[in-house]
Amino acid sequence: MSGEDTRTRFERIVQPHLGDAFALARWITGDRADAEDVVQEACLRAFRAIGGYAGGNTRAWVLTIVRNTAYTWLARNRSAVVTAVDDLAATEHANANLAEASAGGAYAANPESDLIALADAAKLETAIATLPPQFRDTLVLRDIQGLDYREIAAVTDVPVGTVMSRLARARQRLIRAIEAGE
Amino acid sequence: MTIVTHGEDDRAILLVHAYVDGELDPANVIAIEQRMAAEPKLAAEQARVLALRRALRERLPQKAAPPGLEARVRRTVGLTAAPPRPTWLALAASVMLAIFASSSGTWYALQPSVGEGTSEAVVAGHLRALMAPQPIDVASSDRHTVKPWFNGRIPQAPRVVDLAQEGFPLLGGRVDVVGRTPVPSLVYGRRQHLISLTAIPDASVATNKSQSARGYNVIAWTADGVTHWAVSDLNPGELQTFARLFRDAPP
Repeated sequence: MSGEDTRTRFERIVQPHLGDAFALARWITGDRADAEDVVQEACLRAFRAIGGYAGGNTRAWVLTIVRNTAYTWLARNRSAVVTAVDDLAATEHANANLAEASAGGAYAANPESDLIALADAAKLETAIATLPPQFRDTLVLRDIQGLDYREIAAVTDVPVGTVMSRLARARQRLIRAIEAGE
Repeated sequence: MTIVTHGEDDRAILLVHAYVDGELDPANVIAIEQRMAAEPKLAAEQARVLALRRALRERLPQKAAPPGLEARVRRTVGLTAAPPRPTWLALAASVMLAIFASSSGTWYALQPSVGEGTSEAVVAGHLRALMAPQPIDVASSDRHTVKPWFNGRIPQAPRVVDLAQEGFPLLGGRVDVVGRTPVPSLVYGRRQHLISLTAIPDASVATNKSQSARGYNVIAWTADGVTHWAVSDLNPGELQTFARLFRDAPP
């Protein structure tokens, strides 16, 4: 592949998604400067891998690289932050079941209009940031970045069924956190 | 029996979320719409999910990328070489031209002693290294491996300092060509950034000259007849710190 090819492909495939790439990296690292470093490294990886890009959804491809880069970056530079990921399986299953969570406590007592009244930007931000990483990523990709289930499954490398359950759990946690005024 | 019931109720909740997300096939859409009409719990779940989505969309500020990010990324992958932004190819061509010119009798003007030309050449070396699959020819964090590697490749092995404790780990080294002299470059890391430190036997550069070239920060200083050029996209402050630590390190 010639240099011109690589350049054109990078501009077509990667560059349009820099905004999304930064936003995802920012949610994962929790810091703007770190997110910039992650995006920079991810783009270098994407640039080197672009010859092997087989087509398909460009945004999902870019965000997959960004997410993977973000976690290796965190493991290398901020090892304390990443320990949470190790509890992944535990968090996934130790949860109260969905129907119970839906029916229980303050969550059920508040009409949805209250939810909107309570949810200011800072509270939403904190609530999302404190979600377990795999829940947070799924929620961010769906409700903030607008990916569909299949794309999220590709980016986070899990079956669609897992995306569905993570998304429902993430939303329920978020709703509870907002209603509890955390 | 409770477990079975919970399983079925959980499934209904998942379907409500998927329904709101427009991810259900027509058969499941009809089924869940009927259930939501009959079961207030499920209708309430739908209302909350919709409310949450609205709150996220309306209340959460957009995480806009910093204005300089695109330029920085293009520089990193070598698509642009910063303002005044000649392309990488043009830059490579100018280096080739310099090498050609230096071999045809006019090379005095391009000797390493010419500060401006040298800074161009060390930045070009740094850029070329970033473009390569490996920015270094010898990868080692051990200075006792890196220093001997230069023997036999260049006349004089460079001074190698261990700055890992200070947060600038040694990554390795490579040989660059400035004018037509092969010179040693050490590569240090700082977070995601690479620092190329090129050592050129030449005492003509003012001590601790700092500038930026092609969007990279460059600091040069002279010690014991050798001029050190530090090049990086790291911010000037940290690059200064690196220069000071290297300069002040015991031999």
